[in-house]
Formats: sequence, C-alpha cells, structure tokens
Amino acid sequence: MRCQPTRAYASGLMPELPIKDKTAIAGIGWSTFSRNSGTTVMNLAARASLMAIDDAGLKPTDIDGIVTYFWRPDTPGPRELSAALALERCNYELFAQLGGGWACAAVMSAAMAVHAGVCKNVLVFRAMNGRSERRPTRASGGETGGAAQFTAPYGVMHAAASFGNYATAHMARFGTTTLDFAHLAVTQRKHASLNKKAMMREPMSIADHQNSRWVVYPFRLLDCCLDSDGAVALVVTSAERARDMRQAPVYIMSAMGGSEPFPDPWTTYGAIAAPQLYAGAGITPEDVDLAELYDPFTFMCMVHMEDFGLVPKGEVGSWARAGKNGLDGKVPVNTHGGLLSEAYIQGLNHVVEAVQQLRPSGVVDDLCDGPHTYDRTRCRQVRDPHIALCCAEGGQSSLLLRRA
Amino acid sequence: MTEYARPLPLPDLDTQPYWDGTQARELRAQRCSSCARLRWPPQGFCPHCYLWEFSWSQLSHTGTIQSYVVVHQAIAAFADAVPYTVARIIIDNTEEAVILTSSLIGVPWDEVKVGMRVEAVFDDVTPQVTLPRFRPSGSAAVDSDGPQY
Repeated sequence: MRCQPTRAYASGLMPELPIKDKTAIAGIGWSTFSRNSGTTVMNLAARASLMAIDDAGLKPTDIDGIVTYFWRPDTPGPRELSAALALERCNYELFAQLGGGWACAAVMSAAMAVHAGVCKNVLVFRAMNGRSERRPTRASGGETGGAAQFTAPYGVMHAAASFGNYATAHMARFGTTTLDFAHLAVTQRKHASLNKKAMMREPMSIADHQNSRWVVYPFRLLDCCLDSDGAVALVVTSAERARDMRQAPVYIMSAMGGSEPFPDPWTTYGAIAAPQLYAGAGITPEDVDLAELYDPFTFMCMVHMEDFGLVPKGEVGSWARAGKNGLDGKVPVNTHGGLLSEAYIQGLNHVVEAVQQLRPSGVVDDLCDGPHTYDRTRCRQVRDPHIALCCAEGGQSSLLLRRA
Repeated sequence: MTEYARPLPLPDLDTQPYWDGTQARELRAQRCSSCARLRWPPQGFCPHCYLWEFSWSQLSHTGTIQSYVVVHQAIAAFADAVPYTVARIIIDNTEEAVILTSSLIGVPWDEVKVGMRVEAVFDDVTPQVTLPRFRPSGSAAVDSDGPQY
C-alpha cells in the first residue's frame, strides 16, 4: 500500500494568499428544510436568497453575480434566478455540475469574482427538492461508457459504494469500527436537537445506530445523510463593503478547490489541499476552533477531520468515541447536525452554520431565548470561536473563515 | 434466452482492447514503450512520461483486496443480487498500477477481509461481453481457461 507523504503545515514555502481577509460573507439565509416542500425549487432558492440579501442589509438589485452548483440536474441556474429576482445586471454567473465536492468552491468562486473587481456582491445559493422530486437511481440495462464502464456493470450505483471503500480500507489499516461511526452519528444528532431548522431532532442512541439496517456495508441507515427539500444562500462581498453592512462580517481567510488525487486508500483529497489552505491563511490546524465538514456518511466526516489535520491520521475512531467533536470538545464538528441530521443541502448549509457560529451574536436558531447560555440542553453556540474550517465532499474544496 | 437487464460496458477506442481481452479470458493493461510502466484505466498516453507508444500486456489473474463494500439496499436491476460484494483488487505484479473494481463471489459477505487473496473468473454475461469477477484464491473448480501465473 502507498503511504501518504508527510506534509508540513505553514512551512513557509507556501505564502499567504493575496485574497486573505479581502472578502467576507455578509449575509446568510435559508428556507424551511423538509421531506416535501410543497413548492418549486425556484421558490426555495428565492426564499433563501431574499433572506440572505436582507440579512446583509442589501436589496436584490445590489446583487451583480450568482453562483450555484449541482450534481443531478435539480435546480434552476443563475440566469433563471437573476430573471426571477429582476436583477439589473449579472456580471458573473457560474453553474457547476461538480456536486458536493464543490460546496466551498462555490463560495471561493464568488470571493474571486469580488476580489477581481468584477462583482460587488455575489449571491451563492443551493436549492433542491431532493426528497420529494428525487428521481430513482438509474440501474437498468444498457451500455455505460467513460469511467463508469468499469464500475456500473458490477452494481456500483451509489456514492456509498465508492466512498465505502475508503471506510473499509481505513478500518483494516487503523482498526476503526462501525461503533466509532455510531458515536459520530449520535453526537451530530445531539447538535441537531439544538437546531430549530434541523430535520432530525429526536435523540439517537448508539443502539439505534447499531440496530439500523445495512444500506451499503460498512454504512448502516444511520450512517447515511438525509434526502431533503430546501435551500440556503449567502452573499459574498468585499471586506471593505462588508464592514458597512448590517451584520458583522465573517472574513474568508483562505480557500482551496480541486479533486484529484486521493493519495491513498484511506485518505481524501483534503490531505492534498490542507497544507496550502492553512498556509494561505497563515495559520495551522491548531488554530481551528470549529469545523463544518462534509458528511454524506459518518466516516467521510471522520476522515475529513484527519485529512485537514484536526486529528492525527488513524486516530479519529477514538476521537469520536471520546466526543472530542462535541460542542464542548477539542474541535466541535458539524454543530448544526450536518447532512446526517440537519439537512442535505449539499454542504452549503455547513458554510451558513460556520457564519452563524462566528458572528458576535452567535447562532439564531438554537433553543436559547436570550443570550447564549452554553447549556447543552438548549444552546448549540460554541464558546468564543474565532476561526472555522469548512470542507466539501472528499475535501475537494475547503474554506477557512474568521470572525471580525 | 432472456435479455441481460444490467448495465453493460460501452467500450471506446482506448478501452476496447481490454474488453476484447476479457472475452479471450485475459486481463490486459497498457504498458508504456518508453518507461515500461503499466497504467490503468486505459488511455492514449503514459501519465508519467506523456508518450503515446505502448503495448497491451497480459496481467496476472490474481490479486489482493484493497477495500470493499457490500450493497444491501436493492437498486433496480441488481435487486435480486443483494447482498453483493464489490471490491477494489490490486492485481499482482503491477506495482499497484492496476486496481480493478469487480464483483467478489464465492464467499459470504461477512467473511470478506481486506488483504484477502483472490483470483479472476470470467463471466460471459452476453455473447459479446465477458465481465471478469473475482473469488477467493484456491476455490474449488479453478477456471483453467486463462493462463495461470
């Protein structure tokens, strides 16, 4: 087996990015998350977008760029939303079929358009009726070309059947178990129970997880993310303009995109991206106060914790068992419940959560009535976080954000 | 004969010789004429030296399981097959350049292990298409059609 080369973080060989702290997320918004929205995807996109624009203290015609992404064709594109919002101009649009790996790259693209001076205020959204209008996975007869000609004939039809390989390799190499996965699922469900917009707020026990049916070994039902109807949106603008807007800015310190290679059978692209991501911000993983990490399956969140240097490689199983990813743990992870328990908005909901956590007033949709109490029966606000890490599927894009 | 209801490979100009090989009960991969390295999946040029000259080499029919999954939730055409195991198999003597995704048969799913030794068997799913599958090495009734390495 090939081994992952050792990489030094912030080695000095890679400079800070010129874009560091030059752009900010100034507004966030979301629709209701549900199993059946009863409305169109355009309406979901508009609800989240109008909330984000208003949150920033802007009006729709202040938006001059729109970015979204998808995997299955399930959403209106930027030009449709631009028309629906009656924007006066759109200097930049991007409609990327790159799936969950692109969640943080969507924000990165908006930041680059702003930093380049092409746009003032870019709207990033992700909207879908992913539950009520989800089409069945195609698996009938017929011919399959491209890379899938070597997998589809064997019944590889679902992300679990490709990402599951990283899990079984990790289990064999490091002794990680499905019981470790259970602890991660239970912790994230606890976080979701403190999130008014989360779809799954009922408590989950370790036994609930272990007794749930296999979907694709090594993943049980409660290792798998939800299917959701819903939308989230955010507004990216310059740091300078953000300081005059309604909310305290959340600065974009660093960002990375990409996709290949995955360096070994138990490691994602995140391990390739992480050194330059941290160097770009001039920080190290030690500086990260909370992380919102793509979690289509429990194990994927866990391997992202390792690959972005929050946990030593191979040790995430014991880390999860000890609850170090909890709200008062060493590095709180997926404080909203993630794709597993909040909703599947393909990872852009993770960025929205990071922004909430980093604002001076903190999250607005936990169970606290007044100021945050850190009483974990009501409050999901992390104590005094300065820097958040976000990553998308496989670490294929990532962000470092900091509070003002 | 009932029509085969599962996905079939659609070969292209680069991959056709591989699928021709499986019909002949061979596993084949390209070897660069310059640096002599094997590569997978098939493509027109060497990913190491970017030269276009190559030859097709016969591979060993044995390998080691690198990782695997077991599909339990039925999806359309594979509904009657669950649970079924799909593994990534490092083919012997390829310096890990050739890692095939394939069915693992002949072993209960909960006895599969990473590191298990396996050998190819050739399944003629249609008159035109042969899918290589793998089973634990040393299983009874070893397929003697192909070359033994």
